[in-house]
Amino acid sequence: MTAMQTVPRTGTGGGTDPRRGVAPTPGATRPAERRAERPAQRSQRLRHQFVAWGFIAPVAIYMIVFYAYPLFRNLDLSFRDYTLASFITGEAPFVGIANYVEVLRSPTFWPALGSTAVFTLGSIAVQFALGLALAVFFYRRFPLSTTLRALFLVPWLLPLLVSASIWAWMLNSDSGVVNAALAVFGISQVNWLTSPQTSMIGVLIANIWIGIPFNLVIMYAGLQNIPDEVYEASSLDGANAWQTFWRITFPMLRPVSAITLLLGLIYTLKVFDIIWIMTRGGPGDSSTTFAIWSYRLGFGGGSPDLSPAAAVGNLLIVIAFVFGIIYIRTQRRTEDEL
Amino acid sequence: MNVRTKRTVNTTIGVILTAIMLFPLYWMINVSLTQPVRLRKDPPDLIPIDPTFDGYARVLQDQLPYLGTSLIVGLGTVALTLALSAPAAFALAKLRPRGGGAVDFVMLIAQMIPGIIMAMGFYLIFFNWGILDSVLGLILADSTLAVPFGVLIFTAFMSGIPEELMSAAKIDGAGAWRSFRSVVLPISRNSVVTVSLFTFLWSWSDFLFASTVNRGGELQPITIGIYRYIGNNTQDWNAIMATAVVASIPAAVLLVVAQRYVAAGVTAGAVK
Amino acid sequence: MDKNRTARIVGATVLSGVFVAAALTGCSSTPSDNDSSGSTEYTLWDPYPDRDASSDWAKAIDACAADIGITIKRNAGNTGDTVKDLTTAAAGKLPDIAMVDNPKVSTLADAGLLTTTDDNGLDVSDIQENILTAGQIDGKTYGVPVGANTLGLYYNPAVLEAAGVDIASVTDGASLTAALEKVVASGKKGITFSAVGTEEGSFQFLPWFWGAGADLTALDSSEAVSALTLWTDWVKNGLAPQSVLQNTQGTSWDEFKTGEFGFAENGSWFKSDADAAGYNSIQIPGENGKPAPAPTGGEFITIPIQKDTARYATSVKIVKCLTEGNTGADSLGYVAPTAAGQEAQLAADPTLEGWVTAVGDAKPRTADNLGVKYGTISEQLYTAVQNALSGGLSPADALAAAQKAASEKLG
Repeated sequence: MTAMQTVPRTGTGGGTDPRRGVAPTPGATRPAERRAERPAQRSQRLRHQFVAWGFIAPVAIYMIVFYAYPLFRNLDLSFRDYTLASFITGEAPFVGIANYVEVLRSPTFWPALGSTAVFTLGSIAVQFALGLALAVFFYRRFPLSTTLRALFLVPWLLPLLVSASIWAWMLNSDSGVVNAALAVFGISQVNWLTSPQTSMIGVLIANIWIGIPFNLVIMYAGLQNIPDEVYEASSLDGANAWQTFWRITFPMLRPVSAITLLLGLIYTLKVFDIIWIMTRGGPGDSSTTFAIWSYRLGFGGGSPDLSPAAAVGNLLIVIAFVFGIIYIRTQRRTEDEL
Repeated sequence: MNVRTKRTVNTTIGVILTAIMLFPLYWMINVSLTQPVRLRKDPPDLIPIDPTFDGYARVLQDQLPYLGTSLIVGLGTVALTLALSAPAAFALAKLRPRGGGAVDFVMLIAQMIPGIIMAMGFYLIFFNWGILDSVLGLILADSTLAVPFGVLIFTAFMSGIPEELMSAAKIDGAGAWRSFRSVVLPISRNSVVTVSLFTFLWSWSDFLFASTVNRGGELQPITIGIYRYIGNNTQDWNAIMATAVVASIPAAVLLVVAQRYVAAGVTAGAVK
Repeated sequence: MDKNRTARIVGATVLSGVFVAAALTGCSSTPSDNDSSGSTEYTLWDPYPDRDASSDWAKAIDACAADIGITIKRNAGNTGDTVKDLTTAAAGKLPDIAMVDNPKVSTLADAGLLTTTDDNGLDVSDIQENILTAGQIDGKTYGVPVGANTLGLYYNPAVLEAAGVDIASVTDGASLTAALEKVVASGKKGITFSAVGTEEGSFQFLPWFWGAGADLTALDSSEAVSALTLWTDWVKNGLAPQSVLQNTQGTSWDEFKTGEFGFAENGSWFKSDADAAGYNSIQIPGENGKPAPAPTGGEFITIPIQKDTARYATSVKIVKCLTEGNTGADSLGYVAPTAAGQEAQLAADPTLEGWVTAVGDAKPRTADNLGVKYGTISEQLYTAVQNALSGGLSPADALAAAQKAASEKLG
């Protein structure tokens, strides 16, 4: 990918801004200008809007049908008291925020929130760092670098059932190859997935492994966006590789890094299969994140508590939403600075 | 050290890093060839001793239809995702209608919805439309994994296309659609390949949607096919891992080929 | 555009989108109109995706279909997803016959998804009583078992002989522990089982729990604590491996088959596997000298509600065909649910006697009128087992917390 500026300029759908020095595109006018234009211009502008929305319409309808509807159903589930019987009789009394209160008061809430935070932040921090490091490394373009980079994506081919099972296999307390390797170095058996202290580390390792390819590809594309002249200038100035990276490359990667981290966060919040297959959220609650908790409440545990499960799911969306807002405001501020 | 040595060193490091990253795949192959009585040996066999090919025999016998379905679903999902997201991104990036920012925001939010919520909603929608247990339904469901992402990526990329190109096209009398088809799309080849890659991979490895909306179809993808080897009390690990290995090979080849294509596009005619 | 405006537009779009979506998806043909496949095709959902078209089970179904003169469309899915799948399908169209793991029957019955024998006219008089009760709530029967299985204690005679253990000496928890110590002293590993954080974990723990005299309505009793302490001490003292916390029953069996273990707690469905490898089995020892009551396993065949009630008559014929005799049960590796079926099985293979007896002694998990409550209790039970075995909590604390959580949830 070349010339990729990963900042979708949200919130700037229309309107020019002299500070930005961007040439006005047809159809994007300010109110004062609009009042002064002639009818011909106005109809041209309207037609322009119409054409533009024509391009967007298919996706808009698609989003409404496939995203708004499930979301609506989930909100409905969380504000009513749904039992399995409700799916037959259609009866589900409206209970307002009772499910949310129940969820917030549950003893699992704070541990799950903590686990979610640890899992999410731990995952994206390490995935990102490793992905970036690998991207920089592969950017040097040595023989085989393209093929090797492609091979790094192979973990994504595997169904999560398989990846999670293989990691559970390798991290098995007794017959796992990881412990066998550690034993060679004299480290005693680590009960990766069967001890509450290390279960989170075990699932983190697996999730990071799965997350590296995404970060690698996007950061690599970001690196390609940096013009070569910048590197030439820097080496003329006598900067070494390390300085070049920190003073020049990394700052220029900021917009790409931001979107990578944000998407990484959103995707990691949703992670379910890996943890479920490896530990089921256990032992006890030690690796239970919100996603696991939601599934367990709904289908995984003893009784199907669909409404609290929906409430937890919505809380997850709210958390992601908050970070989304933070991202947009940071982007806006960065743009204003330019 | 001279350039040649440096290159060799880099390649060596690259190979080692890749080997570490792909070790779990090696383990997958190892398990697929291990005799069932040796599966849980402590310590485990590093290489399969007295390998068994039963798993592969079973897979080649059973799984080819599933592989074919996964391929069709994958390609269909790519086509649908590109068809939906590329034009929309073009409009957002170049035509900049009012309300465009909101669409971007919605794309972000859309990706925040957990999969199980989507899956349950889809079941009802597809049931009402009569497309349960069908390949089309699966394509629709899997595309929801990629469309918002596609819109974001395409928008970002297309924003970087210089205005001069667009103005030139306009002067030549091209309308929005002509500009899109003849000017923007050809240049966007790299982002098209990237979005296609991600879409295909996400669709290929999806299980949640497949198990919810295609539980009983005639044609099912490979992620369901693997469950042929998971009984309610027993699991046939040789066959499960063999399925994963066999399923990965064609897709891995596709990956390597696609990467070459992207690289070629990068160096030739890069747009700055 | 400023943020307020963005938010307002988003809000308006979502709201209007919601209404459009509700309208689009709500108004459509009623589900019962989609019976396009005709009235002679019956759908059957089972949790055996590993039994494909060439398996004995599929052939048994085909034979029944031919007998009755209809076609049966079989749909196999993952057993863990059955409740989710049926719930999702309830909004559309439920299958004619659904096979469900027996502790889940009461959940689905309570939700109103299943018909009773009163509704569908099924005759259950020849089904063995103790395995039928899992499908009975408040005196009504919601399904019949296709067969039953239960748990036992397998042992590896070669390992025991090398360790100098006489299997006849294993009569209760203490003597079993002593035997395990001898096995470990001889260089092998003691016992493997499944203590995973799912229903399988509860299933495996129940024989020891009931064998100690504990009751599911009081998870924190001293008997319960002693049962859990038995397990916890095994893991702590190296008589059972850490991996039991991760193991499913299948994985545990794979561990046993490496030949490294002296004992394994596992189910009757592995009998033929065990025979081939030369293993034997006894009933799980209880604390009072008698064998411990093990839980009944195996799936129930249920008839979910249909809009067209005329279909029940044929569904009943299908159920009868699959549960009579021993063909259905044999194809799944279960003990037949009727006395006649069991006699036929014993005639064909007399070594099955131990398991038939064990099934006769077994207890359903939803017995003692627990019904729907079992699910909640079971979840707390396997959570307590996981907490205790992993060293997070002491057995007493783990069970106390479990009982507290269960009481709160059940009210």
